[in-house]
Amino acid sequence: MEYYVAIASIIGIHTMLGLSVYLVAISGQMSFGQQGFFAIGAYLAGMSTALWGLALLPALVVGTLVAGVVGLLVGLPALRVRGLYLAIATFGFGEIVRLAFLNVHYTRTIGDRVVGPNGAEGFRHVRYVFDRGFTGLHYLAVILAVLAVVVALYYLLERSKLGATLRAVEEDETAAASVGINVTRVKVAAFAAAGAVAGLGGGLFIHYSTYVDHDMVALPLAIASVTYPILGGLGSFVGPILGAVVLVSLTEGLRFLHELREFVYGGLIIVTMIFRPRGIVDEALVLRVKAWFRPARH
Amino acid sequence: MFFDATEQFINGVMYGFLYALIGGGFTILFGVMRRFNLAYGSTIMAAAYVSLIPLYLFKAPVWLMVLVGMAAAVLIGLLVEFCCFRFIKKGHELAPLLATIGMLIAINEAIVHATDAAGLAYPSPFGDESLEVGPFLVRTDYLAVMVAGVICFALLFLLIHKTRFGRAMRAVAERPEAAQILGVSVRRINVLTFVLTSAMAGLIGFFTAVSVGSARPDLAVFVTGKGLVVMVLGGLGSLPGAILGGLVLGVLEFEATWFLGATFRDILAFVILFAILVFRPSGLLGARAS
Repeated sequence: MEYYVAIASIIGIHTMLGLSVYLVAISGQMSFGQQGFFAIGAYLAGMSTALWGLALLPALVVGTLVAGVVGLLVGLPALRVRGLYLAIATFGFGEIVRLAFLNVHYTRTIGDRVVGPNGAEGFRHVRYVFDRGFTGLHYLAVILAVLAVVVALYYLLERSKLGATLRAVEEDETAAASVGINVTRVKVAAFAAAGAVAGLGGGLFIHYSTYVDHDMVALPLAIASVTYPILGGLGSFVGPILGAVVLVSLTEGLRFLHELREFVYGGLIIVTMIFRPRGIVDEALVLRVKAWFRPARH
Repeated sequence: MFFDATEQFINGVMYGFLYALIGGGFTILFGVMRRFNLAYGSTIMAAAYVSLIPLYLFKAPVWLMVLVGMAAAVLIGLLVEFCCFRFIKKGHELAPLLATIGMLIAINEAIVHATDAAGLAYPSPFGDESLEVGPFLVRTDYLAVMVAGVICFALLFLLIHKTRFGRAMRAVAERPEAAQILGVSVRRINVLTFVLTSAMAGLIGFFTAVSVGSARPDLAVFVTGKGLVVMVLGGLGSLPGAILGGLVLGVLEFEATWFLGATFRDILAFVILFAILVFRPSGLLGARAS
């Protein structure tokens, strides 16, 4: 049981990362740097509870807001470039954050433990959740509740004019600009919001694992984050959720294959890309599903 | 102070040729196909491992190790081209990128399972002694990297500017549709470009492992990071830019390590990367942005 709770928790947290990359993707860009915002959220939320004595919810808000503000500050200059350039620039940003945390020492001795970001040692003993007697199941409920709020916001966004604006920018920036859309502002807003979502995921993560270090937010996490939406599909927010569920479950579920596991994993990504280059839930599928729910006209 | 700076400058230029080769491999592929191959770092890493096989089996000489590494890299490169680029429909930029990530996972896993994830010692055929050049100490393996880099780039320029294949390659890089209409087989050029850059990957794998002292799985991440920075520094798709970018990065890293310390060095590389991308996206020598 605990095993499944752990997997579900990881899925919930990684879904945040997938949704974060997705939000940048539907404004037509690809970010390889969302793990940087994840790290910022994790460190800030962790410091809030472990060092500054905040409760969990305000701590998550702190992590989310700081990640969002950093997203805004990074997005303003960075979104002057696009495509592969932006992908590489954002990866550079993620690495800068990671290497910065590798050098941050801000600790205090609480009881007999040294608490706080401690360079290469990482940030240990974020025990807020444990000290208050949460079980894994309780905390899973917290993760899912937060995720539900985020997903609801995404649902509203996709039905709103703003969602349509994002898609218009993705489709054709010049055309979007010619009908009066401020392309840069839309892209920067999406990037900042995506940073906040990743930061929220980071805050949830550090309180789940009690621990984070710079190795956990390196290239492999960047790769996982972009894999969820691209494999799951860029047609709807269901895509990154599906991607995270499928890929994290596969990572666990394929354990019986032992040595072949990673080959199957890598192979599945390749095969999916060959047959569904816009992911499993692509725009065509979204339109078809929507057609089922539309009342038939005669 | 000035003496140290000069010595680090010399080392940086020499080692920079390794970065130039890495960036060159990424750049040629990007220039011709407008696609990015994230499995390239893994190809380099796997080639370094495979080149150890003849050494273990029968104490093979250096040139044979390099050749075996290059052959292995070409095979892997052809596999990457076949799986990740050939069948994916046109007009989807992200799909081949993600497919190469799938390939990266598979290659890394193959290496980790074959060798238990611990690195293998990689003996330097150039000895541990440093050469004295005037008042400066110069590492022999760095000198070898520079010589190999100069030869490799000379051959590349001959290939690109003096042969039919090179002309076809430039045509495809410029306008794939127009090249196709004029009778250039784009698919064939793509495959040959993969063969060319993969052969470079074999060479890079050898020199990277020699300079690090071991073949390790994390060489893949190391060379990918350097490759990205060099590519961007020089301007995406510009080979002279990649060479200059490699040398600049080499010098900056050596000076930064000497004067500021090793952890600062890595941050510096990425700060430069970010700044160049944002403020001068065409790179040092690139002609056009985005």
